[in-house]
Amino acid sequence: MAVKQGRRILINKDLCQGCKNCQLACMAEHTGNKSVLLLDLENRANQARNFIEPGNDGKPVPILCRHCDDPACVTACMSGAMTKNPYTGEVSCDINKCAGCWMCVMSCPFGIIQPDRVNGTRAVKCDFCAGRHIPRCVEACPTGAITMEQR
Amino acid sequence: MKYVILGASAAGINAAKTIRELDPNGEITIVSKDKAIYSRCMLHHVISQGRQPREINFAEENFFEKYNINWLAGQEVLGLNTEEKTVLLTGDLKISYDRLLIATGSSSFIPPIKNLAAAKQIFGLRNIEDAVAVNLAAENTGAAVVIGAGLIGMDAAYALADRGLEVTVIETAEHILPLQLDKTAAQKYEKLFRQNAVNFFFKETTVEIKLDQDNNVRGVVLQSGAFVHCGLVIVAAGVRSNIEFLKNTNVKIGRGIQVNSYQETSVPNIYAAGDVCESTETFTGQVSLTPIWPSAILQGRTAGSNMAAIPRQLEINFAFKNSMTFYGLHTISFGLTGQADSDSKELIYQDAGNYKKIIFKDGVIKGAILQGDISNSGLIGKLVQDKTKISHPEQIFNMTYANFFAQKENGEFCFACNDNCH
Ligand SMILES: Cc1cc2nc3c(=O)[nH]c(=O)nc-3n(C[C@H](O)[C@H](O)[C@H](O)COP(=O)(O)OP(=O)(O)OC[C@H]3O[C@@H](n4cnc5c(N)ncnc54)[C@H](O)[C@@H]3O)c2cc1C
Ligand code: SF4
Ligand code: SF4
Repeated sequence: MAVKQGRRILINKDLCQGCKNCQLACMAEHTGNKSVLLLDLENRANQARNFIEPGNDGKPVPILCRHCDDPACVTACMSGAMTKNPYTGEVSCDINKCAGCWMCVMSCPFGIIQPDRVNGTRAVKCDFCAGRHIPRCVEACPTGAITMEQR
Repeated sequence: MKYVILGASAAGINAAKTIRELDPNGEITIVSKDKAIYSRCMLHHVISQGRQPREINFAEENFFEKYNINWLAGQEVLGLNTEEKTVLLTGDLKISYDRLLIATGSSSFIPPIKNLAAAKQIFGLRNIEDAVAVNLAAENTGAAVVIGAGLIGMDAAYALADRGLEVTVIETAEHILPLQLDKTAAQKYEKLFRQNAVNFFFKETTVEIKLDQDNNVRGVVLQSGAFVHCGLVIVAAGVRSNIEFLKNTNVKIGRGIQVNSYQETSVPNIYAAGDVCESTETFTGQVSLTPIWPSAILQGRTAGSNMAAIPRQLEINFAFKNSMTFYGLHTISFGLTGQADSDSKELIYQDAGNYKKIIFKDGVIKGAILQGDISNSGLIGKLVQDKTKISHPEQIFNMTYANFFAQKENGEFCFACNDNCH
């Protein structure tokens, strides 16, 4: 039952301009109305699942969940909330099962997972924009730094 | 091929799944004392009544049917005959194996304290039965004592306080979580616990349990002579590997079952994984128990693969990592977190909500405590695990994966120089 990796978001960091459109898009996608225009940046509940951080040369680097082939977050999860879908390869967190123990936060070497900022009781990570064919970050990136590969 | 797995928890369940993925036709039997599948790491949620027992199941739905595994639940293994290749179960039941995995985990260690054996309301916290019994006892008393301020002890104290009991924690060290935290980080928590009716006695030991004539717990007596009134006691003074049934066998044992990096024991065709075994730990390079959930999972998968004749070595066996959260304050720690020795260097960052400490030795991180904002702590863990040389230690608190960015052909991230990447 080898895991098939259906989709992966590819990163070309040299094209990234650090505009953070992808972060805004990610935040908006996870609000009720999905609108960037209506997005309240002061509201702590609006939390991006992707990150743009400076590299050693000071240039921006997009850091997005890899939905790893052998995900450390899934291995560490002691509630069964974090799973890798064997058909699509996507790694997602069932927030109803999540116990907020932070074993996954401790284990993702790329710093992708964070506690939810409002209650600090559930893990927040990229869900590949559940149900959407093309993730919002990919759609929002104007430079081609973030693209999606379909296998 | 007949596979038998002893234990239906982190290591056993993951081994069985791995075997089934590699060997569609083998006969797989799991034997466990446990009558249900559940994550021990969430037992305290059953005490605080945040979750029902059925809500702490960690396995996939219909696990046994889905993977075609035979489960003998509620059965205790009493003995092993390595010549005959059989295990003896309760009721003189014998089952034979071609390959055997021992994943029986560990039990609460019960220290020799006067009257402890006779007392009615004394519990460890390891099995679901413990949590259910604690709940019953908690109905009849307003005060509890927890012996031991390690992670399990503090989980128990938190849960009991959460359901309204007055809790007293007795600890031999000078602060809570002595293996996971330093004094500063521990005291942040102690303050929160005290605000929630949890009291502490440090540098103290329990010498006697006071009972009434029916052996009901009435309190505990400490070494100093102090008396703490209570109606229930949780003992969280460490764990011991479940290896009694190996007594008359030639399976080599230290503090746990000795295994190599293939999870093989000293006896051919017998493997061990999880809390029950001891192995070479990555951070220290020493042979030790590795009693954390992710280690049990990885060891279980490794054992399963080797049992199904697909050779696999356990490459990373990093057990010096802890995560916790009490009263909304999160902490993750790695490595050795206590007093740094003279040739180590400590870097500390502190503000109202955060306390972060990193201990460097020869440019490598030897210990880390991240309290408050725990984002990016996984990166620190990876650097500790890989013993990565950090060229600019002073920038450690600002580092993210962007400072290490490298990609594999398939788009996965890796760490330049450490993994195979281009
Ligand atoms: C309250 C609590 C909180 C914890 N929190 C964390 C945490 O946050 N993070 C973390 O990493 N770890 C945590 N742990 C530790 C973690 O639960 C263990 O590392 C993990 O469960 C080990 O899995 P295992 O499969 O090796 O053994 P166990 O989970 O101990 O399972 C052993 C299995 O063997 C069976 N068994 C034992 N003896 C026999 C016998 N003679 N015959 C038949 N069956 C037998 C048992 O019924 C059980 O099914 C916690 C533990 C507790 C108790
Ligand atoms: S959260 Fe981290 S470990 Fe988990 S799949 Fe994403 S990148 Fe991999
Ligand atoms: S925080 Fe939630 S998703 Fe993460 S390891 Fe714990 S239970 Fe699993």
